[in-house]
This record gives sequence, structure tokens and C-alpha cells, in this order.
Amino acid sequence: MREGSRLSDRLVLGTSRRGFLARVGQAVLAAAGAGAVAGALETDDADAFHICGHTYTTGSCPHPTGIPRIDSRGYPLRASDGEPVDDLGRRVDGQGYPVGESGQRMLDPNGRPLPRAPRSRLCQAAGRRYGFHAESQGSWYRCCDGHVRKLWDCCAFHRTRINGDAALTGYCYGGRNVFCVQYYQTNTPC
Amino acid sequence: MLTAALCATALVAGITGTWSPCGFSMVETLGSAAQRGMRWTTRAACATFTLGALAGGALTFGTLAALGHAAKGVGGPAATGVAVAVAALAALGEARGVRIVPQIRRQVPEPWRRRLPLPFASALYGALLGLGFTTFVLTWAVWALAAVSVALGDTTAGLAIGVAFGVGRALPVVAIAPSSWRGLGARLLATMAEHPASLRLVRAADAMCLAACAVLLAAGPAYAAVVDSTGTDPSTAGADVAWERPGTGGVISSGGLETVLPGDIPAIGGAFVAWRNGSAVTVAIRATLAPVLQFDANGVDELAISQTWIALRGTDGSRDTLDARPLASPQTAHRVISVNAPDQIGRPMLDGDRLVFGLVHGKQTSIVSVDLAHGRRRTLRSGTNVQYLNPSLLSGALLYVRVSRCAQELRLARRGRDHALLRLEPVAAQDRGHDHGHTTQGSRQPCPGGPRPPGRRLLWTTALAANTAFVTILGVANNGALTPSLLAVRR
Repeated sequence: MREGSRLSDRLVLGTSRRGFLARVGQAVLAAAGAGAVAGALETDDADAFHICGHTYTTGSCPHPTGIPRIDSRGYPLRASDGEPVDDLGRRVDGQGYPVGESGQRMLDPNGRPLPRAPRSRLCQAAGRRYGFHAESQGSWYRCCDGHVRKLWDCCAFHRTRINGDAALTGYCYGGRNVFCVQYYQTNTPC
Repeated sequence: MLTAALCATALVAGITGTWSPCGFSMVETLGSAAQRGMRWTTRAACATFTLGALAGGALTFGTLAALGHAAKGVGGPAATGVAVAVAALAALGEARGVRIVPQIRRQVPEPWRRRLPLPFASALYGALLGLGFTTFVLTWAVWALAAVSVALGDTTAGLAIGVAFGVGRALPVVAIAPSSWRGLGARLLATMAEHPASLRLVRAADAMCLAACAVLLAAGPAYAAVVDSTGTDPSTAGADVAWERPGTGGVISSGGLETVLPGDIPAIGGAFVAWRNGSAVTVAIRATLAPVLQFDANGVDELAISQTWIALRGTDGSRDTLDARPLASPQTAHRVISVNAPDQIGRPMLDGDRLVFGLVHGKQTSIVSVDLAHGRRRTLRSGTNVQYLNPSLLSGALLYVRVSRCAQELRLARRGRDHALLRLEPVAAQDRGHDHGHTTQGSRQPCPGGPRPPGRRLLWTTALAANTAFVTILGVANNGALTPSLLAVRR
């Protein structure tokens, strides 16, 4: 993501209001003789892109409820409240059984829990869906919604990103390229 | 049958459009090359015009159906009711020759025929006419088909309607154009232009097709009735249906007369009815409820019965078991399958010697069929991204519930055809795919239709009768509690 040099990416970043303000700030600092420091600064937010903290045009990894929020192990969470969801998008408990909004297990009229559905790691599931192996690799952290957010690249040996643009190395390694993006919202305040 | 009627209506509606200014212009335009001796140009133009019309029709009606699908799905009573009303009103309008209001007083661009190569211009003309609503509309059927496509929300049917409409728009043009200045084509063109009765005739055909659609829609798959607003776990035999009414026990309905059984988790099949009372399972004659057999089966929580077998699913909390006993020697229990939690065995159903049940095993759900007479086992459906649940059988037809990320469907598979009788909203919520205040670029949503809260209804157990499919619907309360109701859906 960070190393993307596509013109469209730079244009999009350039059209961000905060990006513009950030550059103004850099210019002021540079004028004050702190050019070296200013050159190293970057805007901490990027509201020109679809999720907070994410920069450049790479699309989300397919997520059961939409926004690609995951837990620290890569399993899908509901973005609105961080509750775990299965591959069908249902809120589930620690054993994978569907639960209601109050957190209680949903039981059929005989009192048996409703059948479980698989809960797959988002990145690996994205790879399976598109027919190749993918894995979560490098990441970058930014401050979003008052907490530190880990922007986590889903990487694969693939020439295009999920949105069809040419692949970027981003934070991937071992010859892999970014395929799609996901994030893990930490509990660390910022 | 319904799709065929809708396609026939679309075909006639497309043909009716030939009486419009654009229709006549197309005949003249495509035929002009042949008139100058350039027959191959006319033939090529006819081919491209047809392709354009097909594409246009498929785009319009396929999109309308997709919109309907995204908005509310298929089979809902309100949607079907709207479709019936629209088709009936349109039929009446066509039969009486009511003028089309509002009329779209627009025509295809005339300069194209002069500035573009004729085959290319014809393709564009065909596409515009195939779209249906870009130029004059000559029949209420076009509006009716649009409304029905949205109301039914069946994308396949929408595409079929669109293709049929495109064929209808192209057929008269390509048939008449090559001889539009002499011979049969010229005579047909003159008849169309000089005898208004010809238009009345095709509009009468529109009316008949629309009336047929209205009848088929009214008789087609839809919510038939709520059988019991608190019922669950249905089973059927002949015209009888039995189900569990929580708090009351088993209920059997025969000839419109409901009888409460002396036990719960009832099952009917063949000439028999079975119920549980405590740990005792009783088999009785269905017509008289006279017991013929009783045995102890501790831990049983679901029953299925046929003329020759009784199946019992049991659970002890950590292990599900499924046994089958021949009614001729009920002391002999055949273990069909057992699984350890969290794997699950679904509710069993019997049809003669064939036993079907849903199985949750690891990441996979499947529908399994066992021939109890020969011990053969087959997996009829299985998936990991899709759940296959609660099957029932009747004479080779399979009724089951399919739950995917984007829809819940009650499906009927019969003679190589597998279609949805009922479709409900997805079981899970969906967000907007991007953070608030951020752009949509790069965002993804699992299903079309925008953000939505979790589904409030779940499809559950099924039973299949000759003309009716029964399904339990579980209503989801805010605290996650599930409340059953039993519906009958026409097959």
C-alpha cells in the first residue's frame, strides 16, 4: 500500500483535503528550516479512501458483513461492534454457534442450538474464493476511532489486486503482492 | 409454466411494438438496402438488429428482476399479489383497447441510418427498441411485464422475459424488411398500416397472454396460509398433516379437523402416526389413533415414520444418534449414524424405505439419503459456504432449506429441476462496506441491496405433500429467542 506509485493513487491522495492540509503543514515547517523533519511527515488519516487508516486504492477483502474488520488471528468481526461473525455473517459465540443480539445462543424449538457454519480467516478465504493461496503478511498502524488500528495486507502471488488494479508490493514479502486489505482494531487508545 | 406464459406475453408484446412509428421505420430502414439490390447488407442489418433487440430486452427486464430480487426476494404474498393485480389490469386494458397512458413520445435517432453503416446502426436501433421504454409503447403488456419482473424478483425469469421481448421486437422487422417494397413483406406492411384491426388483433392476443399470466401467478408458488402461528416440525401423509405445537404437544389435521395427540414430536407416514410420551414412543393407526406399537426410546427428540420404518433421532447433549427400526420388528434398531458434538444430525424424514436428514459435520453441511432396505447411502447436497438443512422427500421430490450469505431459500428439487419456492432475507446483517465519512472506492458488500439489520425470520423444518410444501419459520426476537410458525406453500 505505502509503496504504491500509481499515478491514480497519487492523484487520489492529492485530492484529499487532509492530504492538502498536511502538505501545507509540511511547507510551513520546511520554511522554518525543518525541511528534513517535514519531509518525513505524512498525514495520519486518509479519508479519501474507504476505511480509516487505509491509503491507496486496494479494495477490501470479501467479508461476511462488509467492512473488513478481523480479530488478531484473522477471523471476521462485525465492524460496528467487534462481535465475531461466521461466514454467513451471523454473530456467533466462542464455539461458533449463532447467537442473538443479546449474546444468547439461538435455540430451535427443541432447544438445540442452530447449526454452526464455518468461520474462516478472511485473507485465506479471499484466496480460496479467487483460486489461489493468500496469507496475511505485513501491516501498518494508524489511529482510528480513538484506537490504534492495524492495517493488514492480504498477500498472494498475484498480478492484480482484488479491485483489478495492478498489484503492489505494499507490506507483503517473499515475492507476494497485496491482493486486498483488512484491519484489526486494537484496544490501545490513541 | 408461469415463465413460459410470461415469455409468450413478452413475445407478443414485442410484436405489438411493430405498429409503432419506430417499428415501421425499422422495417423501412432495414429493407432499404435490399431495395437497392444490397441484399446482404439487409441480411446483416437484420442479424445485428436482432442481436441488439435481444440484448436490450435482456438488459431491461433482467435488471428490473434483479432490482426486485434485491429489494424483497421472490414468493412473498404482497409481491405476488401485486403481480397478479397488475397482470389482470393490463389484460383488461388490452382487451378493451385502452390507450397507453403515459405514452413515451420519443423515437430512435433518425440520423444514425444516414451517418452509420447500416448493420451498425441497426444494432443500435435494435438495442433501443429492445430496451422497451425508450420509444413509443403500444401495449400495456410492456408495463405489466416490467412490474411483474420487479414483483417476482426472479432474475432468470426476467432475462427470459427480456429475450422473448427482444425476439418479438425483431421477428416482424426481419421477416418483413427484406421484401418490404414488394411481395409478401409489402402486403403485410400495407395490412399493418391500413387495417387498425390488425393492431387490435395482436392486442387481444396480449390480453389473453396477460390473463393467463394472472391466473398462473395466482395459482403459482406463494404463501398459501399460516397453518399454525405457533406450529413447528411438520410431517405429511396423503392429505393429512401433523406438527408440534409447543406447550400443547402433537397435532394432526385431517380433513380440516384438528386433533391433539397424546404426546409430542408427532410424525405421520403411510397409514401410521407416531408420538412420544415421556420416553415411550407410540405408533398408532393414523385414521383411528389406535395404538399398534409402543417401545421405550430414551433421549429421542425427533421422529419420522413411513409404512415400513420408524426413524428416531436422539441426543444426550454431547452426541447425536439416528436409528431406524423396521415396523415389522421394532425391537431391532439399526444405527444409521452417530456424531459427537458440535457435529449435529438434523431432523429425519422418511418416504417408504428412503430416509433423509441434514448433517453438520465440521465445516460442511449436507443432506444425506439412506436406502434403509439396501443400506445404500448418498449425499444429495453438501457445502461449506452454503448450509443445506431440514430435507423432506416425497416420490423422488426433495424439499430442503438452503442458507447462503445472501438469501434463505425453500427449494424443491424434482426431475432434474431445482428451484426456489420461497426466498427470505439473509440471516445476517450487512454494513455499508466502508467507514462513515469515507469514500466507497475499494469497499465491498457481501450482498446487493445496501446496509441492513440482521434477518428476523429463519427457514427451518420442512414436509412435502403432493401439492403443498410445509415449512417452519422461526421468528427471531431481540434477545435471540426463536418463535416458530408453520406455513403452507403451494408447490
